[in-house]
Amino acid sequence: MLEKIQKTLTKNPELKSWNVSHVTINGSQQYDLEKTTEAVRQVTSEHYKIDVLCDSLDGEGKPSSGVGTVTLLPGGEISEAIEQAVLTAKLVHNEPYDFPEPASMPVVELVDQQLVQDPSGSLKEVLALLKDSANLLADVRLTTAECFGEEKITHLVSSKGIDAVQNSTQIYLQWVFIAGEGEDEVESFAEIYRRRISDLLLEDEVKRRAQYTTDLLQAQPPPSRTGPVFVQGATLANIVSGEVLGGSLIQVLSSASLKYSEETPWDLRKSIFRGDVKGDPLNVWANRQLPFGMHSSVFDTEGLPAQRVALIQDNKLEGFIASQRFAHYLNLPATGDFGNMELPAGNTPSAVLSEDPHIEIAEFSWFNPNPFSGDFASEIRLGYVVDGQERIPFKGGMLLGNLLDALADVTWASETGYYGNYLGPVAARFNHLQVAGE
Amino acid sequence: MKDINLTPEMAKLRPLLGEVVSTLESKAPYGAVSLSSRETRTFLVDNSQEQVIEGDPTAGGILTVFDGHTLREKVLSGFDKSALQQGAKDLIKDVSFSKNGKIDTGSDLKVDYKTGMEQDPTQVPTNEKLDYLREMNRRLNSIDSRIVNARVRYTEMREKTIFRNRSADMSQDIQRIRLVIIVTVKGKKGVVFDWVSKEGTAGMEILSFTDQELETVVKNAIKLLEADRIEPGEYNVVSAPGVSGVICHESFGHGVETDMFLKERAKAAIYLDRRVGSELVNIYDDPSYPGAYGSYYFDDEGYPATSTQIVKDGIFIRGLTDLYSATVLDIPRSPNGRRQDLTRKVYPRMTNTYFGVGETPLDELLGRVDQGIFLSKVSSGMEDPKGWGIQVTCHYGFEIKNGKLTEKMYAPIGLTGYVPDVLGSISGVSSDFHLHGGTCGKGTKEYLPVTDGGPHLLMKARLG
Repeated sequence: MLEKIQKTLTKNPELKSWNVSHVTINGSQQYDLEKTTEAVRQVTSEHYKIDVLCDSLDGEGKPSSGVGTVTLLPGGEISEAIEQAVLTAKLVHNEPYDFPEPASMPVVELVDQQLVQDPSGSLKEVLALLKDSANLLADVRLTTAECFGEEKITHLVSSKGIDAVQNSTQIYLQWVFIAGEGEDEVESFAEIYRRRISDLLLEDEVKRRAQYTTDLLQAQPPPSRTGPVFVQGATLANIVSGEVLGGSLIQVLSSASLKYSEETPWDLRKSIFRGDVKGDPLNVWANRQLPFGMHSSVFDTEGLPAQRVALIQDNKLEGFIASQRFAHYLNLPATGDFGNMELPAGNTPSAVLSEDPHIEIAEFSWFNPNPFSGDFASEIRLGYVVDGQERIPFKGGMLLGNLLDALADVTWASETGYYGNYLGPVAARFNHLQVAGE
Repeated sequence: MKDINLTPEMAKLRPLLGEVVSTLESKAPYGAVSLSSRETRTFLVDNSQEQVIEGDPTAGGILTVFDGHTLREKVLSGFDKSALQQGAKDLIKDVSFSKNGKIDTGSDLKVDYKTGMEQDPTQVPTNEKLDYLREMNRRLNSIDSRIVNARVRYTEMREKTIFRNRSADMSQDIQRIRLVIIVTVKGKKGVVFDWVSKEGTAGMEILSFTDQELETVVKNAIKLLEADRIEPGEYNVVSAPGVSGVICHESFGHGVETDMFLKERAKAAIYLDRRVGSELVNIYDDPSYPGAYGSYYFDDEGYPATSTQIVKDGIFIRGLTDLYSATVLDIPRSPNGRRQDLTRKVYPRMTNTYFGVGETPLDELLGRVDQGIFLSKVSSGMEDPKGWGIQVTCHYGFEIKNGKLTEKMYAPIGLTGYVPDVLGSISGVSSDFHLHGGTCGKGTKEYLPVTDGGPHLLMKARLG
């Protein structure tokens, strides 16, 4: 069917450019309760996504370009669908641009062979390991687990000559630990997305989650104080690079489309911060080549090859993340999608960062800063008041601040870790943040 | 029966579905088949670009078997007769079923439903839709020169479903539409934004905006440039319906989705028939609410839509169920079995969730507050079904002084607290009522269109 679509597109004289993606997904899902399997599912899907680019004149008679998109299921009516896409493309008016030219595609590791060879068997193994690890724990119970695994194959063909295939896998694991009894029961909810099973680091993660859960049983009311806040692991990754499948403040503000619409205050080779930098300098790469990164790819939806872009160096913006279109408009290099966030190691061992009295935030209810300003007021699901050997858990209250101001006054750990969409320091001490408690 | 709502491929397969169910039930205690087609188109016009984006459609068949213990599903892409028949055989092959518990197979309805529309989006040409958005963009930009961008985003979602089990043979054609306006302005504090939206299960007739509505969103975006952070502490609060709605969504919405009971994640499970709020608190979930964004005629397991009262006069009386949770917990079904799309499992999910109205006019409610905060616009919320903590993030709020709203704006404002404390502090419920549409997930997945809302509420809450 892909060949038929290509032939039909090639014959159409109204098209400036086109690309077609043939996407097939094979997945397995298993949902377990404490003592039973709630559901098992097998899912397959296949579609062809066609983008056509047409030139036309806008309402004022100026030249313009527009994209029309249509998606076909196997056996769908090709000519009719393409006509519909062309009609849409000629009605959408943007400054003229074109689709990307072919380029050399990098090798980016995206596939877990174990998952490809036996998807449902792999899920069973993961769930068995989770249960075995949990059974070793005296104080918590595993009451539910969901595990999804899928293989996705994308074949992209374009009028410019791109003809590339990428395979990727993804595993999702969710579980809940319960501790305590009756009205005093507490829970800890874990959710991990990775491309390969070995990156789940399941036994370590189970131990960490179990500790959180039992600490919640002892949690005190939240304190009120302003000062150093220590964050580590996936919670730090969430603050810096957003949720694993979502975006981040840095991603939004470094977007070329927002530069074009004059909505980002960031400029090339200028500090991204609004004041003085009191902590370690910020250096960030937008890395779509990160092996097994959740946002890694060989090519993005336009066909732009994966890059590792030096985005912020010594607090200054060194580039914008640009699709082909906005790169053309702003005369910038086209980077394609943002990818994953990579930060270099800091200079201070994690143990030193957590020596002085501080608040540690282990988990938020949801850390979601304002996407333009970075202001946040996020409820604390679990934190600790740490003073010397004393480490008192607390629950509730809010962490208040501004993410950009926080990143301008931070000390990064010298050890690094990988958390799905983030490769960077495993811990950080934000030197001046407010915890609003009781 | 007329197949007026379906795609030709779905209509062609429909007569065979009874036979497929029989195949499934030749071994399984319960079998069902659904054909589902979901398409999404988004139109965007802003100051620097135009786009028409087609979401990845899902279309195919879902074969389900259930023995009261484990639910098994096979999902097939597309509408192929032999694949569906073979899929049914494959699903029951090598599986031993034993009947566990009483499975409520639902109604024996044989009926077709379709969203009532004056202006069906499928009959409106693309150029007219784009022109409408361009005009909206132009109207917004003419209001104030400080506007940096005025995004106008219109989304239409068409969901066509056939559900067949041993007794029911139903179809529904649901049209959901949403128009969101986001205005960004630039000032000394950088770039800030406000938004307004209209949405529903309806045609495009619901999408008109008055000049006053557009001026209000621009005015509030500009006011955000001067907004202060609020001093953390406990306040007398009046919540706007959107904020009230998120409070009930996060407190007695997620926490009473009864898969949470099975997973031992819900504190509400041990609060059945117990007080969880003041006597003024009534909470409902109703997928049959006419024209609301989260509405439908039957859920994804064929259960007919109807209203469910969750909290009555402050007492928690029942939760929201799907087939699985109702069977295993041996409690009544409710019409809340929903799946994101055919690639996902059904869970018990909210639809249109709201506080019941009271009798107090809004002015009177505000008049009871000497010093407090009016939480005007909500941006997000997060549930904590086990700990009963609540987090609601408000985009902004206004000072209430001597019973009147002032122009003093605070932003952003986080509301946190312990659910029974927050609901127990409700001392006034207004007589007005509004629903607000949005998207709800379970964890970081399973996204569905929902609404929440209700009246204005007077309460005490911790803000920061």
